[in-house]
Amino acid sequence: MRDLQHSLNQTQRVRLDAALNELQTIAPSGASAAAVTVADTIPVNDEDNILKGHGTSDQDGEVVATLCGVVERVNKLVYVRTLRARYKPEVGDIIVGRVIEIAPKRWRLEINFSQDAVLMLSSMNLPDGIQRRRTAVDELNMRSIFEENDVICAEVRGFQHDGSLHLQARSQKYGKLERGQLLTVHAYLVKRRKQHFHHLEQYDVDLILGCNGFIWVGEHVVVGENTNMMEDKPSLSAEVENFTPLETRKHICRLANAVRVLSALGFTLTVELIIETAEASISSNVEINDMLGAEFYVQTAEREAKRRADLLKKKSGGR
Amino acid sequence: MEYVNPLTGFRVDGRRPNEMRQLKAEVGVVARADGSALFEMGNTRVIAAVYGPREVQNKGQQVNSKEALVRCEYRMADFSTGDRRRKPKGDRRSTEISLVIRQTMEASILTHLMPHSQIDIFVQVLQADGGTRSACINAATLALADAGIPMRDIVTSCSSGYLCSTPLLDLNYIEDSAGGPDVTVGILAKMDKVTLLQMDAKLPMDTFETVMELAIEGCKAIANYIREVLLENTKRLECQRG
Amino acid sequence: MEHQQRWRPTVNEREFIERALQSDLRVDGRRPFDFRRLKILFGREDGSAEVQLGDTRVMGYATAQLVQPYKDRPNEGSLAIFTEFSPMADPAFEPGRPGESAIELGRVIDRGLRESRAVDMESLCVVAGKHVWSIRVDLHILDNGGNLIDAANIAALAALSTFRRPECTVGGEDGQQVTIHDPEVRDPLPLTIHHLPIAVTFAYFGEGNIMVIDPTYKEEAVMGGRMTATINSNGDVCAIQKAGGEGVMSSVIMQCLRIASVKAADITSKIKNEVSTYTSAKALQKVKRLPATVPQKDNVPDVAMKESTDGALERQSTKASSDVRQISKEPLSIVKDNKQEDVEPMSTECNPEVKSKPRFTVGEPDETQGAISPKSLKDAVKPKHKRKKKQHNKN
Repeated sequence: MRDLQHSLNQTQRVRLDAALNELQTIAPSGASAAAVTVADTIPVNDEDNILKGHGTSDQDGEVVATLCGVVERVNKLVYVRTLRARYKPEVGDIIVGRVIEIAPKRWRLEINFSQDAVLMLSSMNLPDGIQRRRTAVDELNMRSIFEENDVICAEVRGFQHDGSLHLQARSQKYGKLERGQLLTVHAYLVKRRKQHFHHLEQYDVDLILGCNGFIWVGEHVVVGENTNMMEDKPSLSAEVENFTPLETRKHICRLANAVRVLSALGFTLTVELIIETAEASISSNVEINDMLGAEFYVQTAEREAKRRADLLKKKSGGR
Repeated sequence: MEYVNPLTGFRVDGRRPNEMRQLKAEVGVVARADGSALFEMGNTRVIAAVYGPREVQNKGQQVNSKEALVRCEYRMADFSTGDRRRKPKGDRRSTEISLVIRQTMEASILTHLMPHSQIDIFVQVLQADGGTRSACINAATLALADAGIPMRDIVTSCSSGYLCSTPLLDLNYIEDSAGGPDVTVGILAKMDKVTLLQMDAKLPMDTFETVMELAIEGCKAIANYIREVLLENTKRLECQRG
Repeated sequence: MEHQQRWRPTVNEREFIERALQSDLRVDGRRPFDFRRLKILFGREDGSAEVQLGDTRVMGYATAQLVQPYKDRPNEGSLAIFTEFSPMADPAFEPGRPGESAIELGRVIDRGLRESRAVDMESLCVVAGKHVWSIRVDLHILDNGGNLIDAANIAALAALSTFRRPECTVGGEDGQQVTIHDPEVRDPLPLTIHHLPIAVTFAYFGEGNIMVIDPTYKEEAVMGGRMTATINSNGDVCAIQKAGGEGVMSSVIMQCLRIASVKAADITSKIKNEVSTYTSAKALQKVKRLPATVPQKDNVPDVAMKESTDGALERQSTKASSDVRQISKEPLSIVKDNKQEDVEPMSTECNPEVKSKPRFTVGEPDETQGAISPKSLKDAVKPKHKRKKKQHNKN
């Protein structure tokens, strides 16, 4: 995301350039050599057994790239991995989406994909938790579960016949997300890991890294209290009780800004990196809103360059 | 008016007849868009933004659901020309150029890989000094590549003309409004195929061939530049990603 | 929005058309570089023409109006093309605002006519800076059978060739007042057309390898790309429009242009023939009106004809070179039409009237067809009514 346009003064610019250059030198040389643009020929050794994957096409016997990206080779498969493209879904991914439309027996969600994803009513737990067949009354009460513009966490169940996604939110950890911030970053910055739900105890904050590039930073919700959802709405006193304390809100903002800075710099988002950035901001006494400023931006770049350099030394030193 | 100086051979702005204006390209300028680019050819500045592939907004427009729907809109900003424009949008010239750009990019985008979706290309001219059509196509190519939309080949475009019995490459506004022939060519760079060809005013056929060949040479030079820009951008993003 | 009800070919039809083209066969039996049958019909009024190119029917109508000129071109008239894609031609056309293809068609024809200076603009100036003629050509698509651009272009050219603008004189106290004369009072004048730019459309199939001329509606739905080349009979390229679509090699483009120039020459001669037939038929209609006014005596008509034709020939020879448009009224409109036609550089249809001349003045430069010289002097002085019949027979 380039929405952090900084007006850097001269020294800051110099420092930033130095940090970015260092990153480039650190980066494995193989990566930059394998970069291709549209219509570049991909050098292939044995022509006959090569499987041409995504981003490649066959023109006059040569393998030609159709996308801008990095060539990846896995055994006999050759494909081009793009950087700034939209989300490429796989079954089992955890994603965060926003409800756009309520259609008969389903919700349509916007995820960062070429089509809207579909969450069927039958793939969703009913509020009372009973496993039963969905009736017409349930269908009419869909709005009480999710409305338009609600943020939902779900899992990819599969693909429909026209290529759009089928989601399911049956577990307790999925469902509506409240009291937090939704951030959009490029999908390539979120790598697939074992864990996407992170509970940061020191801040009492939930961090969900959706594989589609939607990131949720919000107040920690104890899993299992979903049954209280139906009773939340009417009483005002209940709302007052569920008021998020100021400290938690500050932590949420700090983490969200950390994510923003990291995505503006183009660094892969991992939990450790986000926490480290947030802690660095606390330790250097940077105000929350100053985190989006030029100075912190440059400092984060420098810190990351140093971190990667150390990592590289450790790797090469360890051998 | 003397468009080509007979003694020195220089044009109105000091270029040689087969010299192109200075090119400058920047990728990723519009934060919200999936892909965007800013392209400059001399004093002509154009910005392109690509949204897609995304859900089809208007199902009625979708003709063939096995392919992506490509939409394009060309606009000239009110402040882009010397005098403030009266009717910037919806006039016939803008509609025709939107159609031309759309069909040119459609020739290159692999639409069958993205069924049930639509790709929107928005091009806006910020400063117009001749050759806006070509700059728009070049900017659109950059933006589409930035958005990660699969394309058959890089599409580049350049214009050329014929004044004072000399073929001139890359006309600026003064040369364009001289009333002489104006040839705009768009090619698929690697395959060396002409996809866009527009010409007005009269030319004998042999002269036309020379002028067209000159424009194709210009297109190839632009294609090299665009390739470099995209390659550098990819390397930079990959390195920063870690 | 135009695509809503556009006819879409079935997989079968698409394959059939493409497969047949690989063996140089077209579905309607034509060869790849053949045009469909072209028929040009003219309406009652000057400046209206209907073109039928196979199944495609387009009607063109030219009108003129006195307006103020543009500030940067004070002594030039203007030419504007307006297209109307009415839904009766194709269910995909929607009424109201013109769609993209309508605008493209209008602009392609406009570029071919205006930018290549086919119609002389400076002759449309009446009072520089104040009054000029603005010609407006309306093209109505009546039936969309494919290749609208070519048909509409021919319709526009036919309309402009037969269009007659009213004559006007500048007078009044300050010399600025313009009086437009009624066509009944003074015969209207034709436009000066330097050359006829003909549009030839190519359709590309199979990745730019196969091309055909004049695609039909079905071929258009299946084609990969299209190119319209506007060429005149001198071999000058007036305009080219290839708006994206399938990529083709530049050598293929030059080949297409050469083929197009051959076709353009064909069509130019066809248009000229049709226009000349029409104008001469129109002139004859005026001749038919005359017997009531011309006296029946033999000699007097002879002498009258002779004097006027002599005078006409004199004036003709002087005027043909100077190309002046101001023509004063003549007693006999036959002669006047004759001169008008001679003044138009493109038309050579002086035949019926000039045919009568060699009887009186042998040795005059004439453009008659073949030897229609009288067999004896007796034939030469045949009475008027018999002479007219012979004119008809010869036509």
